[in-house]
Amino acid sequence: MATGSDRFASRADTTVFVVCVVVSLVALALPAGLKEPIAGALRSTVLYPILAVQRRAARSAEAREGLAAVRAQRDSLLLETTFLPELRAENARLRALLGLGGRLGQGFVTGEVLHQSGVADGMTLVLSVGRDEGVEPFSPVLTARGLLGLVRTADAGTSIALAWTHPDFRASAMVEGTAVYGIVRPQRGERSGELMELVGVPYREQLAPGTQVVTSGLGGVFPRGIPLGTVQGTLTEATGWERTYVLRPAVHPAEAAHVMVMSPERAADTLAAEFDSARTVPDSVLVVRDSTGVRLLPAPAAPRRRLRPRPDTQPQSQPPLSAPPPALRRGPRR
Amino acid sequence: MRVAGAHVRAGLVLALLVAAHFTLRPMLGDSRLTPDFVLVALLFFAIRVRPAWGAVAGLLVGIVTDSVSPTAFGAAALALTIVGYAAGWLKAVVFADNLLVNALFVFSAAWVRDVIQALVSRQLEGGALAWQLLALSPMAAGATALAAVVTLMVFRSWLRQAGA
Repeated sequence: MATGSDRFASRADTTVFVVCVVVSLVALALPAGLKEPIAGALRSTVLYPILAVQRRAARSAEAREGLAAVRAQRDSLLLETTFLPELRAENARLRALLGLGGRLGQGFVTGEVLHQSGVADGMTLVLSVGRDEGVEPFSPVLTARGLLGLVRTADAGTSIALAWTHPDFRASAMVEGTAVYGIVRPQRGERSGELMELVGVPYREQLAPGTQVVTSGLGGVFPRGIPLGTVQGTLTEATGWERTYVLRPAVHPAEAAHVMVMSPERAADTLAAEFDSARTVPDSVLVVRDSTGVRLLPAPAAPRRRLRPRPDTQPQSQPPLSAPPPALRRGPRR
Repeated sequence: MRVAGAHVRAGLVLALLVAAHFTLRPMLGDSRLTPDFVLVALLFFAIRVRPAWGAVAGLLVGIVTDSVSPTAFGAAALALTIVGYAAGWLKAVVFADNLLVNALFVFSAAWVRDVIQALVSRQLEGGALAWQLLALSPMAAGATALAAVVTLMVFRSWLRQAGA
């Protein structure tokens, strides 16, 4: 490395440096309403060609890494699709009989996570899809394993997503197949960025480790049934009022490479089947509470019920989405 | 003429580094541990110009970096401004052909950048902050230093002539 001359900073250098520091501090102090347009303008001008190059590189890397797996999957699928038309027809008939909607076949776009350098990566993610592909703010961002976050801003060709690790992230959650509701947020403090917290669970509901927590569908942002994480243990107990549980997340932002961005119009849907959660826990269950916690048993005689009414048949008497879930509205009980 | 040619060659190396950041880096695995080629380019630029230009370059690179993480807008700008200025100011102690010193210089700059950015953005705290600054950031800084050393070894003649 060349040294250049050995002169140190002159007064002019120091002045320029101070000006640059002040500009940086002003940028830090800007309100969010001003930061977003400036950042968006930079992304759509200076960064646009750079992100386009990175998007191609990410796709190329993913294609190379996944080639063998894709070939194996293709061969397996070829075998499995032999009976697909019959199964599809039967499935449609059965779902119609049960009053269920179609599976997730549309209303989403796929994209890549364009990881950036620095400590901010992992809290906000750059996605390779944007407005041109139909991405809108508040679109849920999923991976095959669960919820990753939601879109904060959408530019023409890219978008910025808020990962669940971000301090501002919240999601209405429920224990799969039960009426136990709560709010999931990133854990702060020692394990910040690694674990989630499920807060607001009524004190009487004791969740065993390993219990899966999914989105509840309340709030109108995330569809119901997307895995958020599994219970690891109890964090705090506000005696007689509520419990807070620690969750191991279903997916970590740093590991995410390929994502699905759902249309906000799908927020009213139920995605439990798409994540195969319906296989592990049936829709109709008996909730057994004992000293070991909550246990779920299949309800033998109960018919399969609809987890959520279709939007077109939603009764007017249903509480608004912003209202707290029924489990949270009940009074505390020891 | 020779000086102009040297500047062009150094500029080419810097452009290659920036291109590598957006094409090669996505293929190198976990983004938390991959080298930051843009930071290497910034440092190589900063030690060849006056400290003021290093600060300005750091501010511009930082603002662009911040645009992809708008919730911490300004954090990278401040961090890279300080790193760019310090690199220009410290160039007298960076030896021409000592790869170890150069590696240490890049490692320190990358780690200091992360420290400032993490503290200013205030998005990490407690053990997570310690984990980031004492484990992940040093590993990423090491990878960045390695990238700088490889660049210096491959383009040594171009970079030496440019700065001489």
